[in-house]
Amino acid sequence: MLEVAGLSLAYATRRGAVQALQGVSLAIPRGGAMGLVGESGSGKSSLVLALLGLLGKGASLSAERMRFAEDDLRAAAARLRGARIGTVFQDPAGALNPALRVGLQVAEPLMQHRGLAPRAALARAVELLGEMGLPRPAEVADAYPHQLSGGMKQRAVIATALACEPELLLLDEPTTALDVTVEAQILDLLERLRRERGVAMLLVSHNLGIVDRLCEEVTVLYAGRVVEQGPVQALLSAPLHPYTRGLLAALPRADRGGMQRLRPIPGSLPDLTRPDPGCHFRPRCPFAAPGCEAPQALRPAAAPEPGRGERGGDPAGLVRAAGVRRVLCHRAEALAGTPWPAEEAPPAARPPIGGTLLEAEGLAKRFRLGGGVLRLLAPRAEVRAVDGVSLALRRGEVLGLVGESGSGKSTLGRLLLRLLPADAGAIRLEGAPVPAEPGPGFRRRAQIVFQNPDGSLNPRQTVEQALLRPLLRFGIASGAAAEREVDRLLELVRLGPAYRARYPHQMSGGEKQRVAIARALASRPDLLVCDEAVSALDVSVQAAVLNLLEELRDRLGVGYLFISHDIGVVAHIADRIAVMYRGGVVEEGPVEAVLAPPYHPYTQALLSAVPLLGRRERAGARLRLAGDVSTPAPARGCRFAHRCPARLGPVCEEQAPPPRLAGPGHVIACHRPLEELARAPHALLAAE
Amino acid sequence: MAGFLARRLASLVFVLWAMTVLVFAVVHLLPGSVAHMILGEYATSAAIAALEERLGLNDPLHLQYWRWFSGLLQGDFGVSLTMDRPAGPVILEALGRSAVLAAISIVLVALAGVALGIHSATHAGSASDRALTLGQYFFIAVPEFFWCILVILFFSVWLGWLPATGYTPLAEGGLLGWAKHLILPVATLVLGLIAHVSRLVRSSMLEALESRYVLAARAKGLPERLVLRRHALPNALMPAITVLAVDVGILIGGIVVVESVFAYPGLGRMLIYAIDNQDLPLMMGGMIVVTAVYALANLAADILYAVVNPRIRVGGAA
Repeated sequence: MLEVAGLSLAYATRRGAVQALQGVSLAIPRGGAMGLVGESGSGKSSLVLALLGLLGKGASLSAERMRFAEDDLRAAAARLRGARIGTVFQDPAGALNPALRVGLQVAEPLMQHRGLAPRAALARAVELLGEMGLPRPAEVADAYPHQLSGGMKQRAVIATALACEPELLLLDEPTTALDVTVEAQILDLLERLRRERGVAMLLVSHNLGIVDRLCEEVTVLYAGRVVEQGPVQALLSAPLHPYTRGLLAALPRADRGGMQRLRPIPGSLPDLTRPDPGCHFRPRCPFAAPGCEAPQALRPAAAPEPGRGERGGDPAGLVRAAGVRRVLCHRAEALAGTPWPAEEAPPAARPPIGGTLLEAEGLAKRFRLGGGVLRLLAPRAEVRAVDGVSLALRRGEVLGLVGESGSGKSTLGRLLLRLLPADAGAIRLEGAPVPAEPGPGFRRRAQIVFQNPDGSLNPRQTVEQALLRPLLRFGIASGAAAEREVDRLLELVRLGPAYRARYPHQMSGGEKQRVAIARALASRPDLLVCDEAVSALDVSVQAAVLNLLEELRDRLGVGYLFISHDIGVVAHIADRIAVMYRGGVVEEGPVEAVLAPPYHPYTQALLSAVPLLGRRERAGARLRLAGDVSTPAPARGCRFAHRCPARLGPVCEEQAPPPRLAGPGHVIACHRPLEELARAPHALLAAE
Repeated sequence: MAGFLARRLASLVFVLWAMTVLVFAVVHLLPGSVAHMILGEYATSAAIAALEERLGLNDPLHLQYWRWFSGLLQGDFGVSLTMDRPAGPVILEALGRSAVLAAISIVLVALAGVALGIHSATHAGSASDRALTLGQYFFIAVPEFFWCILVILFFSVWLGWLPATGYTPLAEGGLLGWAKHLILPVATLVLGLIAHVSRLVRSSMLEALESRYVLAARAKGLPERLVLRRHALPNALMPAITVLAVDVGILIGGIVVVESVFAYPGLGRMLIYAIDNQDLPLMMGGMIVVTAVYALANLAADILYAVVNPRIRVGGAA
């Protein structure tokens, strides 16, 4: 169906031509699904644009073959896209035009390629929206994008892509901007489309879990070159190329827990203006040896013996794997038995968790919607972003805070630091009440790291200025001592003194986030709120930052409130987990207790929606939630009742659920008896 | 939408009222007697007293304000001190002539600005885009009184094609005679504004063309012409509308200059005349009218913005 061979792509830049893709080959059979994985900068999205013929000016493309069915894509892309090739881009909020009704946007390809009259096309668009599982499709068609939730928007985008019944769908990070429960709904939809319509798919994703779930084959791209290709189960259970192995070793897994440190890939992407004729992963590869500088060819690899792969193989997956495996490494087979090296210094034994550091009681925050001159005349809707939350954090402890977007996680983090004024509730730091407008003493001891270092670092300040400021402000050091302290902080986050003079735009995302962490640590805080601090980072960088955070916890005894939507990351780093839904904590407890039954039904849904590697069969048993976090909830009673698959009856809507002790320090707020909740299957581990 | 309109109208009324207070205060609270100001420094005290009596300047301020304000509400701007005519009709005639100048200019600015902006954005980096950019910065940088002098020298003095000053009513001079007096003032007014608007449309259009929804529209296989017209343009025009409203303010300032140079009998020239001759009713009325025009232009922009932006028209999330 789709066949690409020897595709190379270069972008002209001021620094010379950037070789974004070099000799990429892949083929997808009719009805097949290929995953395309790799970190940012690997050229994934460029490949999608190249296939669509939508490369901008300054891009030069060459290929031995680029065929779609019987057509040459280079000549026919303009005719095929939208008609026989459908595309779903990342971030549905950006992919829909804010000024046009959703129905028209879905109908457009029908009018364009099928010659349908506007009325007929709109009628078909409504049908399509219904087929995508959207309730009240006529109303959705009549709405503007801003009136729909993220999941609804992505369904509308998929409906658009499918309008002309294409034979191939290009999916560019289709679920990246979505919550995990919504992501699971979209994956269900895509899986159904494959089954029912036999659509072929090219799924571009940095998330190996969803590739594993949807695809038969996977292509691993590193800095513009295919480094490994093959059947997905075999490849992920026993990766051959060192880069693939590094990716998997760096990935925190929800089903593995946080017993050991992650193993990040050192270094960063090579300079693509001067591509290395030899193996371009060589500078970062722990197995580099003489011979690696010679040009490598993507060659068929002997399937490794079961059981010899990384962290133990998946024999069942290997037996099923029949496709050809290809790898871009001359030593792949020879290295199959050698494990990915751990970091040189094994982590020091973790000191015991200390006494209570921060306590919050009954914290509440309401946000008023709208405003303006006549505010007094009309009653305004209110959102209870945080609704009576109490929690405690001990010294050297990591409290993970999970929940969908809009559940109030970030607001809670800011309330705890008194960065937002609370409407109610008290906060105590080591027993001493923290006033509504705390002095520098509290600010010094409680710091925050935000998700986006681009937004939190001042673009006009060098790293040195950014780090000196808190040192002087809090009187930690001055003069020469402050200079030494800056070096020490940079060393803490593993950046050399050369970084002192750099501006944010001169650093990569991972480096910037390390500077943000160093800045937060400058005042020697006891408490650090990490608000999605690793969410924007690539897997290998994320692993390095997570390791760093763990190391600092052990060495300095810092307590973390670790806010993340990524269950895998939280399961890896947290000691305790609090699960938030709509402003309230529905379950809280030690990490192993929260991740195992008994579950709050929301926790169960959240965990079972996490795509795990090599666990495709889980999808069938998943606990599915209707709607999303914005679906209106009952005014009284359980905040989750309206979406709860385990609802008991009117009691859920009328009475607030009692917090029940399910184990030591493990609290679940649900009307269902604990014995019943305990009968739920384990959401992460395979049923024995 | 109804609530949005009601809020905007309420704030418009408030702004106009506040302006009457401000204009009144500026004239009456400043040091020096009004009558003195009108009659000049050699006036006898008897003449001053007589004028104060005639103008009611001895009444308490709030009473004077109320007299003027209630007159305004009935469309009575008082009597011009220098022309012995009601100020209202004088202002209205001048406003009419300025409105012709302004309307032609703003329509030209909108059409040419948007068209040039779209051209630059769709041909970004080309020779024509670079030439336009250079011209745009040039015309933004040079003030209009410079062009006034230059075009008069060139077209009136040197070529003799067009009259340098004056005005011929449509009824007297016919279409050609009327238009001849408008060409030079309009041309000098619009040069800078077209450059300004087209720069803005260029950048907002470029932003729209870089957006994901335009990429998605192209991936749907839509022809480029539809991508531009249906997907990019409506979003690119939103900031342009706001800027056009601001430009109405700049235009009013420009009109005062241009009318003076070309001796065009409009509101701007009338205001200058009123100030020169201390004709207070004419001056105050003129200022209120100018404020009203600007406020109405902003209201029109707000409504237009709401029409193209569904987030305002349709309101909040579902």
